[in-house]
Amino acid sequence: MRGMAISRRRPGRRQRELSGYLLISPALLFLIVFVLIPALWIFWLSFQRWDLISGASDYIGTANYERLLLRDDVFRKSVWQTVYFVVGTVPTSMALGLFLAVVLNRAMPLRDLLRTLIFTPYVMPIVSTALIFSFIYHPDVGVLNAVLNAFGLPKINWLNSPRAVMPAIIIYSVWQHTGYNTVIYLAGLANLGPELDEAARVDGARAWTRFWHITWPLLSPTTYFVLLVNMIASFKVVQPILIFAGGVSGAVSGGGGPDKAAETIGYYLYVQAFSFFHAGYAAAISVVLFLIILAITGLQVGVISRRVFYSRWELCSRCSSSLPSSIPSATSRTTCRRSASYPIPPPASSCRSRGRATSSTRSSSPPPPRRW
Amino acid sequence: MIVTSVLAGYAFASMPFPGKRLIFALVLAIYMVPAEVTLVPNFIILADLHWIDSYQAQIAPFGASVFGIFLMRQFFLGLPNELWEAAQLDGTGHLRFLWSIAAPLARPPMVTIALFHFVASWNAFLWPLIVTNSDAYRPVQVGLEAFSYADATNPVLHAAGSLMVTLPILIMFLLAQRQIVGGIAASGIRG
Repeated sequence: MRGMAISRRRPGRRQRELSGYLLISPALLFLIVFVLIPALWIFWLSFQRWDLISGASDYIGTANYERLLLRDDVFRKSVWQTVYFVVGTVPTSMALGLFLAVVLNRAMPLRDLLRTLIFTPYVMPIVSTALIFSFIYHPDVGVLNAVLNAFGLPKINWLNSPRAVMPAIIIYSVWQHTGYNTVIYLAGLANLGPELDEAARVDGARAWTRFWHITWPLLSPTTYFVLLVNMIASFKVVQPILIFAGGVSGAVSGGGGPDKAAETIGYYLYVQAFSFFHAGYAAAISVVLFLIILAITGLQVGVISRRVFYSRWELCSRCSSSLPSSIPSATSRTTCRRSASYPIPPPASSCRSRGRATSSTRSSSPPPPRRW
Repeated sequence: MIVTSVLAGYAFASMPFPGKRLIFALVLAIYMVPAEVTLVPNFIILADLHWIDSYQAQIAPFGASVFGIFLMRQFFLGLPNELWEAAQLDGTGHLRFLWSIAAPLARPPMVTIALFHFVASWNAFLWPLIVTNSDAYRPVQVGLEAFSYADATNPVLHAAGSLMVTLPILIMFLLAQRQIVGGIAASGIRG
């Protein structure tokens, strides 16, 4: 009996390995069938002419890419408009999110309610909120034009003029995304703790100085994450475009808003695939979009992450030279004392290497309690 | 999706098997593939299965979630090892341990995943728009969009429709905002 118990307790190595595979296999199956295979397949698909309705296909080599990159004016326009959208949306919603997070990070009445309200747009269905925004943008009875009118400004036909449609969609996207950025920044701020800020306050640093020289550099890992997520999400934007400019019935003409002024890469991909049924051509667009996103991610990982401070120690070793003399030594003393309390005090040389090592010591320490 | 996430998350966290690191890296790499990029091939796969305009088409592609696997793995890694050792002394295998001890403890991350998925499914628009074409299988968001085109002249009806579609998610969000906001925040901290 005892032997039985032991063998049940310690099944053979092979058996244990097998059950490991068994447990991951359901999830892996879904991921392979619906993500990995499609992701690899688009490369093959992009060299074909493939009609989505009849399923007829033939190999046409690089013809899709030649047309896409050399001759397709709509695609070229969509690339620039996507850039326009990203540049209009990402910095604005990040700055707003950071501002709101810093404001909400201090004790104030109704703070929890405000947090909830700011985050709400992010979980609301895009279709409903976009519909509501299209009332706001309505040229005659819309709220926005009424406000403009009250300030003596001319009415704007937001969704039907080539110049205004993209700004209108950008405003909507900023509204929708700021709550997400606020929440991430609030989490980042909660991670910092108040000690440094208080030390600087004791030293008489003003609010802006404290923010610029302490909070902002220490938040850089958060900023890095938010920037990456926002950039990727904005580059592949489809749904707001679909609802504001084009949509189901507009698909016949290819949609994209007045004069195609709201055409983005993601939307063009959608139209080519599911309005014109050019699956091969759409696959070529997918590949280009994929490469653009990869390039952006690579660029950010390669370039911007070098400017990210992963620990207070790093800031400490830098701030001695970069802090203005208006913040005397108590701040940097605190910084060093804090970092000395890390499990493994990072050697000075790791400050040069931008703290891969220091970041690992940090992430191994237990996360601070969150107050949600 | 919760089941697949829990199983895979547990396996990645506490079971040794060859190639584990490689497979986990693969799973994280899958996370980088934007859904928009896989739209067309996924559509073709479902068309080959004759699943277009059905419930399966809207469910199957979301049968597993990298986010869910990752969240569960992080949680299981955080469980004290003594629990597992005590269970082993009592003669428990991995499955039994997962079912009776680890999974009940993992309720908070499971709730988070469920809430996220609920919000995502309720708000799903682009994919259902593509794979459905009859009213019978159309979810609310696509219905609302179609409705807004079918009756483009009556803004009051639009507002009523939007409100009806938004209200359930709003109520759920207000009730569960701690978990949702906490989950979002946790996803940011690891960055």
